[in-house]
Amino acid sequence: MFNVPQERAVPFGCVTPAPIGEQPMMRTGNWREFRPVIDHEQCNLCMNCVVWCPDACWQLSENEEEVVWNSTYCKGCLICVNECSHDALTKAYELDFPDGVVRLEKPF
Amino acid sequence: MAHVQEITVWTRGVVKDKEGRDVANGIAKAADKEGKFTQAFDNYVDLPDRVNVPVRKYARISDDDIEMKYEYENEKPQVVVVVDATLVKGIDVLRGVEKDGVLVVNTNRTPDEILKFIPNQQLLKSIACVDADGIAGESTVDFSGTEGGVDAVGLGSGIAAPLLGAVAKSTGLVKLESLAAVVKNKEGLFKGHETTVIKNLH
Amino acid sequence: MAKEMTLSGCAASAQAVKMAKVDVICSYPIRPYTAAMMELAKMVAEGELDAEFIHGEGEHAQLSVVYGASAAGARTFTGSSGVGVTYAMEVYSPISGARLPVQMMIADRALDPPGDFGSEHTDAMSCRDQGWIMGWAESPQEAFDNHLINYRIGEDPRVMLPQFVCQDGYFVSHIPGKVLIPDQAQVDEFLPPYNPGKHVLDPKQPVSHGPQIRPDQGAIMDLQRAEAFLEMPKVIEEAVGDFNRIFGRHYSPFVEEFLTDDAEIVFFIQGGHAATARYAVKHLRERGVKAGLVKLRFVRPFPTTQVAESLAKFKGVGVVETSTSYGGSMRGGNLLVEVRAALYDVPKRPLTTSFMAGLGGDAVTLKDFYWMAEILTNAVKAGRVGKTVYWAGLEQAVA
Repeated sequence: MFNVPQERAVPFGCVTPAPIGEQPMMRTGNWREFRPVIDHEQCNLCMNCVVWCPDACWQLSENEEEVVWNSTYCKGCLICVNECSHDALTKAYELDFPDGVVRLEKPF
Repeated sequence: MAHVQEITVWTRGVVKDKEGRDVANGIAKAADKEGKFTQAFDNYVDLPDRVNVPVRKYARISDDDIEMKYEYENEKPQVVVVVDATLVKGIDVLRGVEKDGVLVVNTNRTPDEILKFIPNQQLLKSIACVDADGIAGESTVDFSGTEGGVDAVGLGSGIAAPLLGAVAKSTGLVKLESLAAVVKNKEGLFKGHETTVIKNLH
Repeated sequence: MAKEMTLSGCAASAQAVKMAKVDVICSYPIRPYTAAMMELAKMVAEGELDAEFIHGEGEHAQLSVVYGASAAGARTFTGSSGVGVTYAMEVYSPISGARLPVQMMIADRALDPPGDFGSEHTDAMSCRDQGWIMGWAESPQEAFDNHLINYRIGEDPRVMLPQFVCQDGYFVSHIPGKVLIPDQAQVDEFLPPYNPGKHVLDPKQPVSHGPQIRPDQGAIMDLQRAEAFLEMPKVIEEAVGDFNRIFGRHYSPFVEEFLTDDAEIVFFIQGGHAATARYAVKHLRERGVKAGLVKLRFVRPFPTTQVAESLAKFKGVGVVETSTSYGGSMRGGNLLVEVRAALYDVPKRPLTTSFMAGLGGDAVTLKDFYWMAEILTNAVKAGRVGKTVYWAGLEQAVA
């Protein structure tokens, strides 16, 4: 009798599946004006950026040789730049980079 | 029912929230002085109390009484103002624009550099760039006008003023004199109007 | 001289409360009514309003604080939205039973789950049995006016009851509209200073509030309030009459009719969406549909006689419900139940049905009203309604 349009549908009891690892419905990469840029030569893998990032956007790579940046979720808070112990991180204006686009249709 | 001009302003929460609101309110107040029927309000679901989150403000202008007063969004904006340029990478700012839209961006870069990030530029008639940050120097941060409250510090002391000048020059929606009557930073308004670079796309 | 300002519903409410020279305000933030308290806080801080501004620790505390303040003889103001309104539920009956004219602003918000800021009247409507006066505003102007009118009605010695002054969250509370702000002298003429009765706390005349009573006295307690509600329509008519005279407005005390002269079908509605309904009715008329609008200004006391007299003139009535009453007799909202009860004894009754619209804060569009008009027209043609509740936007039925 009732037809609920797909984009308005709500799960039973409004209970939603919990995100594991990342929440693709809340990509916060479009919050940043500046992004951190890493100089791998300078980096001594102190892991400060990994520990301090509030959104876990710096992660040690699989082969444990470098730290890898997550452009989908980085909010550009620049805490990592502030906490880097070896001057490996600097900030750069987002529009200088053609990559890292998180073009959402709506804010959420 | 007369046509309703819709203007959507994209800005960032906390740091440029008031400036975005000032752009929308400035357009509405100026149009009001010209005898139009207007509305100006913040988007309700955007939750702007988070630093840098993309948020929207709306203005609407009509020659006749606006009938659908109670809406949540501007479905079909003709003018889109982007208060922080990096938003073009993060949001499809032209969503809802049908055709011949005007995009106004606060940036010191050229229109071509901004257009690189806009894949659906065929929806645009023109793009206008103004270095509002350079002209006004700062963005006012103030919460008195949020959530339906009354703004206590005045309209357009920061980057909103040159942005409004750019809107006047690139859209003709409101006259510069009407805007001058409602903004505080008149010098910024005129300088913005003067230095806006407009590129017509067709 | 009246001054015109562009204010949101929250800001307009704050202005009205300031001009009413309230004594005690108790705040607690919840979206969307919060801005009213923000405005009042600014006014108190800047010396524009001489009032005690107390920040409660929750909505239950808010109501308890103004209960005490009103019991001590102060003109009080508080407010809430959504689940805040239901959080304070325990205190509504004590305030009403103690005959204290506290005023509470409710900017509607849908009740959880989950978090939905949109306007739905269920938050306030679920408190309609608590013995408070309750009515909705359609615009920031009406919100401003309703605050003053409600203080006058509530504080009248024949009434002495608290009031819920309601407005749709976001639609009315956040979207600015033009408001005529009167002179303080006009407000003072309309609203005399609060004259608390002999039952308030006073060291010179000690009283006890809320003692234990026997069950056989309980009905008498309830009867006192029921009698006040019987007196109330007269007080409301006087108050609105005075208001119109002093401020130059044209409010009807209970039901407001729009384009109903030869109407066959009408929308019966309260709150913000009435503003959109007016345009819909105008356009329907242009298309040759004999549509009209009847707007309800008070849901408590429900103006039974006035509603019956008004609606009896039409063939089909569509009650627009923006609240839910799950399992209720009409399986929809609460207004249709009240309307049908009011019409029961009318010899020639119109067909009545209800439309769930605007629930959860959903926008109600002109197209929605046209769809409702089609259903009503078909019902009148068929001589009966297809069902008692239709959900706007979620079903295709036109009969």
